[in-house]
Amino acid sequence: MAGNAERNPVKLPPWWTLDPVAEFRIGPRAFPGRIWTASGCFAYGLSGHDIASSEFDSPYTGLGAVVTKTVTPAPRSGNPMPRLCELPHGALNSIGLENVGYERFLQETLPELERRGVPTVVSLAATRPDEFGEMCEALQSTAAGYEHWHGVEINLSCPNVAEGGHDFGRNPETVARCVAVSREALPDRALLAKLTPNVTDVAELAAAAAEAGADAISVINTVIGLEVDLESGLPVLPRRYGGYSGPGILPIGLAKTDEIVQKTGLPVVGVGGIRTYQDALKYFALGAVAVQVGTAQMEDPFAAARVARDLTRA
Amino acid sequence: MNPSPSMVPARQYRATVLSNRPVSTGLIHLVLECDAPFGFLPGQFAMLNFTGAQRRTFGRPLSILAGEGLRAEFLYRVVGSGTADLSRLVPEDEMTLLGPLGTPFPDRPEDRDAVLLAGGVGLPPVLAWWDRHGRETDRAYFGGRDAGDLPRELLPAAWKMSIDRRQDGDDERLFEGRVPELARTDLAATGRGKSFVLSCGPLLLLQAARRLATEHDWPCFVSMEEHMGCGYGACKGCVVPLQPQPDSPDPWRNATCCQDGPVFDADDIVWNRIL
Ligand SMILES: Cc1cc2nc3c(=O)[nH]c(=O)nc-3n(C[C@H](O)[C@H](O)[C@H](O)COP(=O)(O)OP(=O)(O)OC[C@H]3O[C@@H](n4cnc5c(N)ncnc54)[C@H](O)[C@@H]3O)c2cc1C
Ligand SMILES: Cc1cc2nc3c(=O)[nH]c(=O)nc-3n(C[C@H](O)[C@H](O)[C@H](O)COP(=O)(O)O)c2cc1C
Ligand code: FES
Repeated sequence: MAGNAERNPVKLPPWWTLDPVAEFRIGPRAFPGRIWTASGCFAYGLSGHDIASSEFDSPYTGLGAVVTKTVTPAPRSGNPMPRLCELPHGALNSIGLENVGYERFLQETLPELERRGVPTVVSLAATRPDEFGEMCEALQSTAAGYEHWHGVEINLSCPNVAEGGHDFGRNPETVARCVAVSREALPDRALLAKLTPNVTDVAELAAAAAEAGADAISVINTVIGLEVDLESGLPVLPRRYGGYSGPGILPIGLAKTDEIVQKTGLPVVGVGGIRTYQDALKYFALGAVAVQVGTAQMEDPFAAARVARDLTRA
Repeated sequence: MNPSPSMVPARQYRATVLSNRPVSTGLIHLVLECDAPFGFLPGQFAMLNFTGAQRRTFGRPLSILAGEGLRAEFLYRVVGSGTADLSRLVPEDEMTLLGPLGTPFPDRPEDRDAVLLAGGVGLPPVLAWWDRHGRETDRAYFGGRDAGDLPRELLPAAWKMSIDRRQDGDDERLFEGRVPELARTDLAATGRGKSFVLSCGPLLLLQAARRLATEHDWPCFVSMEEHMGCGYGACKGCVVPLQPQPDSPDPWRNATCCQDGPVFDADDIVWNRIL
């Protein structure tokens, strides 16, 4: 949405006292703001960054962090097309974690993000817990001196990768192992564990992650979904299942956030269905310390910047 | 071969509908007025979306037909719910526009004539190229379903037209058959020196354009269509498989249709992974 005419005047509730573009801490790190972009929905933070607007200097304006597209130990070609299926209240995606691999990311992308001063959280996924440790070590040795690299989000939840996230994110012991090896390699950066909503007890997994050293929990990743093409009677996506995201999953993201906050008191970064400042406020009302904008950022490269602006008291 | 044209920066616009009316039985011409000057290069596209309750999760990619000053023009066919809603917009309705996006057609290499092949809603980028670069020695072909499907008021007099089905009373000069056949027949009759091919339309047309180019050892650039989410390289939802780079360890190479494309060198595409 290109803002104004459509936008009713911003009305912030009296309980909202945070400044979304002021520094705040997660674990060992100070982040420049509480409104972030979600992994996979703003590429590596270097696509669309140069799109102009009459309302913002750039899509980075007011962002507390860009969580980069998940990278894996080896490059991945991703899933067959079509990879997206638009739905009335969001979309299904089956990108299949296409990425350039963490080595190229460390050589080419992260230095560029640093050069541009983009606050960055690096998202990682792996097929074995040890690989998280190896990638974090490489990251630490490349970027130990970086000023704008704030942390790592380990993606324990991508529902698209048959051999990957699925199992990690469902078993508290595996979650703990992935977190522990990452923590060991990352002494002075924030470590976030991103959890899937496709489990029975998300709080138990969050607690396991925190015990193993995670500084905060990001919830939620996409919700497993399926769409059928009525004409053919077949699933629209070649892999049948996809990840449901967008406004339709807002209540699910809020419920998972609440579960974790209520049961564990851990810092939560709320993700899922955020398009407007009102959506973001709902996460903050439940105790989230920061939020991420995903699908909305795809349609509007200024979506997160808009949320940050709207949540800032004049 | 590909003298890279200088790019116009993309921008998020608010736009107002100036007109939105059929120019043939199947094609609708949309003219928008943007809230800031709009520029583009032929082959680029924009993501259009509605405002208010009609707004979709994703914008709809449409090739840019023309753009100058505050005006941006498009040509589309109704194929689903988004384009159906689009067809109901009336002057003064508001939209959002993100663009111009993507890699355009190359400029003309001075020593070559252009052979342009467009089918149906593949017309806008090809016509836009013609408007900017076309010269007398170029050849341009457009194919529609039937005579009523031809957007006559938009097609330059020099363009030759084909239709899939001829009906009684149709213009004698219309070629019955597919665009590539028309092109072959016409090129055989008129003779051709060094040329290059640009094409946009259904996949079968693009492949036929490529075969035609290969036979003459001409370069060929095609504008591809893939389902899109963001339109600006953020989601990897729109990949086109390209031939792997010889020095790459990976046996695959994916390009984004929205950023690396939609225009590709036809020889770079791994066609059997698309069809
Ligand atoms: C680079 C590019 C340029 C295009 N230029 C034009 C043009 O100039 N004129 C024109 O009429 N059409 C053009 N198209 C196709 C146009 O985008 C689709 O017809 C349109 O998105 C259909 O939307 P819908 O809601 O009516 O269809 P629905 O089927 O209801 O759409 C559902 C979803 O699928 C997507 N989708 C459906 N069909 C296509 C398709 N053929 N290509 C890409 N996405 C699709 C939609 O965007 C939407 O996300 C172009 C596509 C691309 C990728
Ligand atoms: C196209 C697309 C790609 C995504 N890729 C990733 C990814 O690589 N890693 C990840 O942790 N989450 C990924 N996600 C999930 C988002 O980061 C986010 O958790 C989810 O979409 C819910 O937020 P939203 O409703 O704001 O989109 C992806 C989502 C989409 C729509
Ligand atoms: S549509 Fe998102 S990368 Fe092309």
